[in-house]
Amino acid sequence: MSDLNRFRYTMESCNHCGQCKWILPHRMSGWDFAEVCPIHSHFGFDAYSGQGLINIAREVMEGRLERTDELAAMVQTCAGCGACDVNCKSVRDMEVLETIFELRRDLAETGHLPDACRRMAENVSAGRDPFGVPQAERFSWLPEDFREDPEADVALFAGCSAARDPAPVLAAMKILKAGGVPFRLMTEDERCCGAALWRSGQQSAAEKLVRHNADAFHRAGIRTVVTVCGECFGAFRSIYPRFGETEFRSVHISQIAADLILQGRLSFRRDLPPLTVTWHDPCMLGRLSEEYVPWEGEIRSYGLHVPEKHWNRGEFGVYREPRDVLAAIPGVETREMTRRMEEAWCCGYWSGLADPECAAATAGERVREARAAGAEVVVTSCPFCKTALSGGTDPLPVVDLAVLIAGRLA
Amino acid sequence: MSLPKAVYEELEKVVGSRNISDKEYVLAGNRAQTPEIPVRHRSADAIVLPGSTEEVAEIVRICRRHGVRYVGTVSGGIPTAYATEENTILIHFKRMNRILEINEKDRYAVVEPGVRHVQLYPEVRKRGLSYTAAAVGPGGSVLVNIACTGGDHHNQYGSSRPTRYLLGVEMVTPEGEILRTGSLEAGAGWFCPESAGPSLRGIVKGYSGNAGHIGIVTKCAIALDRCKGPAATRTEGVSPHSRIYMDDECSRVYVFNYSSIQDVGRAMLALGESEVGATVQKYFYLPLSLMMTSSANEFWEKWDGFRKAFPMPLVVHLAPHSVREREYEEKILFDVVRETGGVRLPRELERWWEEHMDYFMIVSRLQSVLRLGGSWLPIKTGGESVRHLCDIGDSIREFIHDFTDTGKIFDAPQNYQIIPMEYGHFASFELLFMWDRTDPNSFRYMQEFCAASRETDLKHHAHSMTAGGYGRAGEALGRLYCDCHLWAGRIRHSFDPDFDPDA
Repeated sequence: MSDLNRFRYTMESCNHCGQCKWILPHRMSGWDFAEVCPIHSHFGFDAYSGQGLINIAREVMEGRLERTDELAAMVQTCAGCGACDVNCKSVRDMEVLETIFELRRDLAETGHLPDACRRMAENVSAGRDPFGVPQAERFSWLPEDFREDPEADVALFAGCSAARDPAPVLAAMKILKAGGVPFRLMTEDERCCGAALWRSGQQSAAEKLVRHNADAFHRAGIRTVVTVCGECFGAFRSIYPRFGETEFRSVHISQIAADLILQGRLSFRRDLPPLTVTWHDPCMLGRLSEEYVPWEGEIRSYGLHVPEKHWNRGEFGVYREPRDVLAAIPGVETREMTRRMEEAWCCGYWSGLADPECAAATAGERVREARAAGAEVVVTSCPFCKTALSGGTDPLPVVDLAVLIAGRLA
Repeated sequence: MSLPKAVYEELEKVVGSRNISDKEYVLAGNRAQTPEIPVRHRSADAIVLPGSTEEVAEIVRICRRHGVRYVGTVSGGIPTAYATEENTILIHFKRMNRILEINEKDRYAVVEPGVRHVQLYPEVRKRGLSYTAAAVGPGGSVLVNIACTGGDHHNQYGSSRPTRYLLGVEMVTPEGEILRTGSLEAGAGWFCPESAGPSLRGIVKGYSGNAGHIGIVTKCAIALDRCKGPAATRTEGVSPHSRIYMDDECSRVYVFNYSSIQDVGRAMLALGESEVGATVQKYFYLPLSLMMTSSANEFWEKWDGFRKAFPMPLVVHLAPHSVREREYEEKILFDVVRETGGVRLPRELERWWEEHMDYFMIVSRLQSVLRLGGSWLPIKTGGESVRHLCDIGDSIREFIHDFTDTGKIFDAPQNYQIIPMEYGHFASFELLFMWDRTDPNSFRYMQEFCAASRETDLKHHAHSMTAGGYGRAGEALGRLYCDCHLWAGRIRHSFDPDFDPDA
């Protein structure tokens, strides 16, 4: 059951300093691209920000603000990108994003949820992935001649998006093969990672998926799970440990590729035309991919946490490896956007469940930033980011990192 | 608690339906209780987001016509920028966020209220310019910081460094008229705070209550300084362990420890006479300790060590334009410190300072002072002579132990800040303390501490600002303290006959 009271300390500590809305000085570059909260940028009211949402959570907790479908829809306009959380935690000991997720859970468990979110759980209950693809078709894209290594303790987690666009997973398979990494696919047992359900507040539904996948990895003797999708990676790192100790380690394809390059086990063609790209850090691969460490304890006077609490402040996301890989590919030049790494601007995809206009504006802003950086192509590693950034009226080409790597292998 | 439909519709016509709301969850975003004050903010009846001065003027006229109160706000960081009475709307300046001009030749920038330091500062740096800001953090509004900071008494108005950097101002009066001051009024541009006729410079006062000014500042020009150094700030790392590198040739920090505040004062005056130092501070070491640690737990682990390591740090930032100039300033600095008994602290501490405190807003880590739960208050904020403020600093020990030794507040005897300005002609003072908001008596303790501070100040003929102390200080000191609030009351009475200026 939801328990907003667990986050009372956070709610009562906020001084409305505004750090959750504006870029930190070490990333500032000018007037433009200075905001970090997509919904605050789009709607303008403080309610639409980390600060505002924890104010709302507090009023809901204290029974002063009514739980309604309209409120639930408003809360779901937040993409859950965590920029507010990282910014706040640069100076404070507060759990802004966790409070927002708990508010969603509270609203969902009391029956307030946008239809698009509700449909995801209904799909899963009906044996489909959250986006409606039947389990039987989850691996329909798999080439008939694919042969896995049945003894491998490494699983390549395909993710739900492979059914819509298998290219990134096929590219990852090519990279692993080229690097001589034995792996398997969990064609029978793989289910959605559960991130979409968990983040929308449907945590009981998410828990079933988490337990199913964790059990499947255990039964298959899987020690390492490789992901191509940033969302799945973040789920394994930051959501799965909430339901018990994970017996596997999760690795993103960019980390494997960076390692293989370092070992000299991947080589690239040099005859392809040059390309100027920018790397878009997916939230769940970047700032939200730190491993969740459960904490139970007492918060004493002046913020002393007993026992000491481990804080995820977004410092140790997967930032370096994708950039190292891009730097290693001949002919590829990377231009950095102002809002990058822990300060990256979200693609806005998940806002679309409640407000497609807000989602489109958020994605459009990111494309504008990429263009301002001088990029011809946006490279990322999350199918949701790719979908969001490829839409709009004036998009830039968006390429998955694994696809880019595989396409340039010698 | 709702605005009459007709009023709402009038306001909606001005700003458009997207930019006004009276939805409960939208209002909730701006009415939460903050940890400094244990009272729940009253809810505004609506929030409007104007896009221009003309829209602000129209909103004010509508409010005036219908007897609706209004409060202007930007970041909400000031605990008084909330509705306090029924029938109030918040005018939020999120949309008014344009940098209207950066004039490199005459060295000024014109901004709207929504422009934040993280937006303006890099823009002026690109042009080889910089500016001074009081400590508000990177997301603070430039306009509010420069135009609307000030204390409650005569020394503060127009004399703190940020307010002296205020040039032309455009504001909306309570009647909904657009008023322009300084050279702007004469049609000569933004460059000067004065114009022909009586000075209107003092019309811009402060941010709060009696110390606040009448009207809404919608644009202002601020003065810029020439600044040597890179156009873009070089940084490294990922938050929270990021670093900012200033150009070593033109930006260096030196930290010295002293055994007495009087010696610190002598050093400040000597440096002022020599015109050395872009910034000279007797810094408070409690915020410094918080900024140098990554969590409350780490702070408590290291606090005793910090307290012993630098009980009375004097921080000097040199920002010379050449290596030769730096060598010259360094020589004077070291001479002054030697003569006044200072001891230089390890270079690592100075380097930490250089890499984390970039001196345009003291700075990205400033809000770390809120890490211990957020209940804090800066008091004694005001301007005085350097020597008098050193005496005031010394007098803190007369009352602080009754509160710190009994755990009523959290502070330390020498944890205060003095910043000399304008070559030591005067200085600003700040005593920052914290309290445990989980203790039901803490707010009373906080008030008692403020009162003890205020009475000690009066005993020592000082008249700096202490929350809740306007009446008592005014009664004890009369016009020496301030009569601005009396004038403000009279002016308000002329607009609003129902208002009693003597109440």
